[in-house]
Order: sequence, then C-alpha cells, then structure tokens
Amino acid sequence: MASPAVSESLLAEPVPAQGAAEKSVRADMVLGWSLVAPALAILLVMTIAPAIYLLHASFFNFTLLNPDLKRFVGLENYAQVFADPTIRNGFFVTLMFVTIAVGLELLIGLGLACALAPRSLGNNLASTILLLPFAVTPVVSALIWRELLNPNYGWIDYYLQRIGIIGRPIEWLSSAPTAWVSMVGLDVWQWTPFVALILMAGLQGLSKEPQEAAAVDGANLWQTFWHVTLPQLRPFIAIAVLLRLVEAFKTFGTVQILTGGGPGRSTELINLTLYRVGLQNFQIGAAAAVGIVFLILLSLIVSQLLQVLGRNTELLG
Amino acid sequence: MRRRHFLKLAAATSGAAVFGGVLTPRAARAAAKPQTLNLLYATAEADSEAVKLILPDFAAKFGIKLNLETYPYAALQQKVFAELASSSPHYDIMIVDTPWMPALTRKLEPLTPYLKEAKFNDLTDPNLKDFIPAAFYDSAVYQPVKSYLHFPGSPAEVDVAAIAKEGFEIYGLPIQSNVLTLAYRKDLFADPQEQKAFQDRYGKALKVPETWDDFAVVAEFYTRPDKRLYGTTLMPGTGDWATDDFKTLLACWGEDGHLVTDKFDLAFASPAGVEALAYYADLIQKRKVTPPGVTSFSWDDVTATFNAGLTAMAMNYHDMKLNPDVKGEVAYAMAPKKAGYGPHFGTWILSVNRYSRNKEWAYRAITWLTAGEAQVKMLEKQLHPTRVSVYQKAVADTALQNDFGNFYDVLGKSLNVGVGRARLSNYSDVSKAIAVAVNNAATGSQTPQAALNAAVPQVREMLKQAGYPVANG
Repeated sequence: MASPAVSESLLAEPVPAQGAAEKSVRADMVLGWSLVAPALAILLVMTIAPAIYLLHASFFNFTLLNPDLKRFVGLENYAQVFADPTIRNGFFVTLMFVTIAVGLELLIGLGLACALAPRSLGNNLASTILLLPFAVTPVVSALIWRELLNPNYGWIDYYLQRIGIIGRPIEWLSSAPTAWVSMVGLDVWQWTPFVALILMAGLQGLSKEPQEAAAVDGANLWQTFWHVTLPQLRPFIAIAVLLRLVEAFKTFGTVQILTGGGPGRSTELINLTLYRVGLQNFQIGAAAAVGIVFLILLSLIVSQLLQVLGRNTELLG
Repeated sequence: MRRRHFLKLAAATSGAAVFGGVLTPRAARAAAKPQTLNLLYATAEADSEAVKLILPDFAAKFGIKLNLETYPYAALQQKVFAELASSSPHYDIMIVDTPWMPALTRKLEPLTPYLKEAKFNDLTDPNLKDFIPAAFYDSAVYQPVKSYLHFPGSPAEVDVAAIAKEGFEIYGLPIQSNVLTLAYRKDLFADPQEQKAFQDRYGKALKVPETWDDFAVVAEFYTRPDKRLYGTTLMPGTGDWATDDFKTLLACWGEDGHLVTDKFDLAFASPAGVEALAYYADLIQKRKVTPPGVTSFSWDDVTATFNAGLTAMAMNYHDMKLNPDVKGEVAYAMAPKKAGYGPHFGTWILSVNRYSRNKEWAYRAITWLTAGEAQVKMLEKQLHPTRVSVYQKAVADTALQNDFGNFYDVLGKSLNVGVGRARLSNYSDVSKAIAVAVNNAATGSQTPQAALNAAVPQVREMLKQAGYPVANG
C-alpha cells in the first residue's frame, strides 16, 4: 500500500509520475525485445526468410545454375504439381507409407511397452537391447536390409527356405507388394523401439491407484487396460505419434537405398521426387512448389495432431 | 597524394581489374604461380586412388601442391553444382560427369583458347589427337548456348580448328572412361564338356556371343537354377543403370542410342525401341536366364552376383573379380551387336572452374593429369584411360594382363563405338522416366509397348518444362 505522502505527490504531480511509469514500461519493453531479439533474428534468418524465398521461388521457372534466366510463371509450378501423375503418385505413396508404418509402430510399440514396463532385470536388459535398431544409422540399416533380402544369398530367404516356410526365394524388391513389405518392415524394425520407449516411460509413470480401483471393482485385465490405462496413456501416444509422423514424412535415405522408388514408381516417396527435381536437376522453382504443397499438407496434419495432444494433456491435468 | 592523382590511380586500378576479369588466356598467363591448386574429384567411380598416385609427381614437377578432395557420386554432383552456382573460386579444377555438362557450359572455362595458345602448353603437350575421338567429342565438346547439340558426324580424330569452326568449345579433358563391356566365365566357355553339350544341343560351336541373338542362346544354355547358375545378369532396377542397359540395346537395334535426338524426337519409343525392350524383357520373363531378384538390380548387384559365381556372363562398366571361393577365370568381350554396336559409355572430364583465380595453372594441371605419361602410371590403380597410346601400352603390358586379362583391350575397342547420352539439362528426370518403363517391362507389370508409351508424355512434358522446343506428339 502506498504511503499518504507518496499518494499526495502522485496526485499533486500526475503528469511526471505517469511519464515515469510509461518510461518504466517502455524500458521493460526494450529490455524484453532485446532479450527476445537474438532468438527472433535466428528464427527470421533460419526459418522465415528461407520459407519466404521458397514461396517466392515457387512462382518462377529457374535453375540454380542459371538464375539470370529466371522467368515468372505464376501458379504454373503448382498446376504442374497437381497435373503431374508422378508427383501425385509421390504424395499418395508417402501418405500410405506414413499411415501404415506409424500405425504398425504404434501397435507393436504399445505391445512391447506393456510387456517391458514392469521393472525387472530382464526387462531392463531387453529395453537396452531395444535401443539398438534406432541407434543404427538409417542408411546403414537400409544397406544391411538390402543384403539380407537378396534372394540369391540373403539370410531371410535362406532361413525361410531352411525351415520350410517358402519353397523358392522371394524376390522381395522386385514386385510392388513385397517391396512395400520390405520398405515398411525396415521402418517398423528401426523405429518401433523409439515408440515403445516413450510409451514404456509413460506406463511406468502412471499412478497405480485407478488400476487398483478397477481391479477392486471387478474389471478384468483387458477392461482395465482399455478403460483405465489407455486413456491415461493418450498424451504419450500423441507425443510418440507426432514425433514419428514428422520423421516418417521426412524418410528419404532408407527408401532411396532399399528400393530406389521401385519397382516402377511403386515406392517412390515424394522426397525422392523432390531430391531428383531439386538436387539433381536443380530446378528450384518446380522443387519449391512441391515443397510448399508438402509443407501445407504436413502443417494440416501436424496442427490436427497438436490439437489432439492439447486435448489429451488437459485430460491428464 | 593529390585528389587528381588518387582518382587516376583508382581509375587505372579498377580498369586493370575489369580487363583482368574479361581478358582471354593471354592475360591470364601473367597470373602468379599459386602454391596450391584445389581439385574436386570423385571417389571410386573415377578411380581416385589412381590420381592420388601421381600427386607427388605433380608437386615435384610444378612446385604446386594439388589438394585432392573426393566425394562419392551422389554427393559429388551436388557439390559441383553448388560450388558453381555460388560462383565459388575455391576449386580450381573439377571433375565433371557427362550428364551434368549440358547445364554447366556457362559455368566452366572453355579450354579452346588455351589449347590454341602454345605458351600455355609449354610444360605438357595436350596431344589431343591421342584421345579416343568418340569419348572426347561425347564428353568434352559442347555448343556453348545450344548445349543440347552433339558435335556433327563422327570425326576420326580431335581437331580443335574444326571444333571452333562449328561453333563448339572444349570444356575439359577426359581422364576416365567407362563403357559397358561383357564379362564372362572363361573357364566355363573353355570347358570341353560344356562345349560338347552346347554342340549337341544347338548344333553349333560354343563361343562367346557376338550378337544379341547368340547372347540369348548362350545365356539359356548356362541357365541351371538347380546348380545355382544363370546365363547372365542385367540391371533393370529403377535407376540410371536400367536406362543404360536399354539405350545400349536401342543403339544396337539401329535407333539413336541417345534416347532423345538432338531435334527432340523420342527415339526410345520408336518401333526399334519397343523391339529392343521386348528382347530385354523376354530374357527375364520368358527365357528366365537371369538370377532371382534381377529386376531390382543395379550395377552393384551385377558385380556381386557375377563375382559370387552365380552367372556365366554379366555386363558392367568395370572389371570383375571372382570371389576367392569361386574357382574360375574372367575374360571380357564387347557387349554384343545387332545392326551394329552401341555400348553405353560415359567419360569423366577435368574442367577449369570459370571462377578460379588460377585458371592458367589449373589448365596446365589438367593437361598434365590427362597426359599419356600420367595415365600410364595411373593404370597401376585401374584408371580407365582415355588415350589410344595408353591402351596400346596397357595391352602390351604383361603385368596388367595378369591382373586384368584382356579387359583393357576390350575397354579400348568398346570406347571407339560407345554411344553417350542425350544432352539435356534435366537428363536425370528423363532417364528416370525411361528407367521406370524398362523396369515395368522387365517385371512384366506392363508390356514393352505400354511401358514406353507411358513414358512418352512424361518425357515430353519434362523437355517442355526444361525449355526445350519439343513438338506435341
């Protein structure tokens, strides 16, 4: 509470006092902005400026090597994105791949997390081993898988034949369905442990009381899991799915090495197309348009997921 | 200093700087000798070990250290393009692969003026007439503006005056040539039992196939899946290699093996193209002379499969070495012919960066690195030479024969009849579309006709997008 003397002085000389307050507010603002400025500058230089350049580039037909031949084409590059069947195919293949791979990773990861969540020496050891696949560089894992899947001397066909599951080698990368199995299988093998570890951490952090209460009320294991554990785990699931979706949409090296987009264009992710247009032909305008469309698509999906994540976090709170 | 004197001096300095930038090699000659030159090079694709072998000799002769930086193929293209796009003077010399050249003619220093000027050739004779003409014209000679044009005709030797007269320029000197050759198991072909069996079955002597018709028959003969032996490998996986296989056949079937002509006619989709692709697909689908999984093979898989002793024949760009547990011997022949030969080839050239500050010495380094003497020394590390005289020495060298058999002899002969690529700034796009067609025909998911027909509108659109004057079909 202000002293009477101060109050009087405030009343007696309102203008200078208001000025001082304004000065103080302004000083705070200056201090605040100057503290935020470095981060803003980095954001501007590293993210916003390139994004604006990308948008600008998408309205031109030009190659990086001959920028002086740049020609304004308006929305022509965008029209090309939607008209070109190979680009449309790239988007479709990417969406399918991400949906199937992340879906499987979530299911298997959840199963693994449930099995490994109880603390024991065996589970600790298993969790450590679980880390190995996603510690391997993706490109290296693709090279190894390519060798394992070789129908002439790869281990997979060899052992499948030895134990009598198949009569003759499967040509994994030669037909679209088996190439898809290989491509998704590699991603699932590599990234399921990541999902499992997030969910395991979630499970281990959950309060036991609701589960014990459910047991007292006569709920069986499945009912407890479905009605009690899973709702509590939703924020962790949302985080795992969000992180995996973003990474899965960026998949490039593994598929480039494993299938090269083939057979035909059956596994050609949009990133492979982007690489060819942008980094082999250096057609920056065309590549920028594909990139912008991809960015919009990703933003829509991620913003939806963030909403789900926000809702579930509130539920938890 | 008075203001007027200062202004005069400034004007003179800036004038010198301006003229220095635009003057031809005559002025560049006066450039100071650098202490180092930076060379951007490939890795195994262009036998970087061979170049490393002669770097000390270069330092000893010129008193200049040549810094070699190597990048694997995929990264190299981005590195070369990024350096040139940013007008960086860092690398004085760059290795350039043939399909990149149409996009780079404005970024690389034309060497014709240097080659004409004796003063720049005082330390090494470029001896252009010694280069294999087909490889030289395909890789190094371009029209500066219309870079999609091939030099007309098939000159018998490199002629700088004729090149200049036609409005073309020389943009580099060839250092490493790759061409499709046929490797085969010499032990299997020399086996009397095999020869008798072939004679009994086909009524003619077993010999290394010289035609594609014979190739199919011999491949069929050696195909014994129960003994894990197949006639041949191919490389129809979705990549540049599938296009290379196909364009070899296209040329042999009498069409323009560049796939797209200089007038932008789509030669790959011609009746000859359909026939050639049908032959190729039949080897896999009907005759079944290839090992399992072949439709995803690249040249790497071809190497691994042949070296593992799984096939009697294979076509590839380099020599092959059987695995130690495979008892056998490898020899080489030219890739078969039909109407004529047409093995796919591509040559790496060394070029001078247009933005280099040491163009004169970079040029001198290139002439020395690609000279006959240097190439002979580099043979020790498996360089694929680009000069006629070096092939003559390689063929006569018994140590090389012991190591590589008749590889160099076949390599040299094949280069003489090699067929390069279409000169398109977006060749990788076009090649990909055609590779997909080849792959679809090879897997049997489309007929050869349907596969090539599907590629036609895509390629036409790609050409339009790149600004080429292509007519609607």
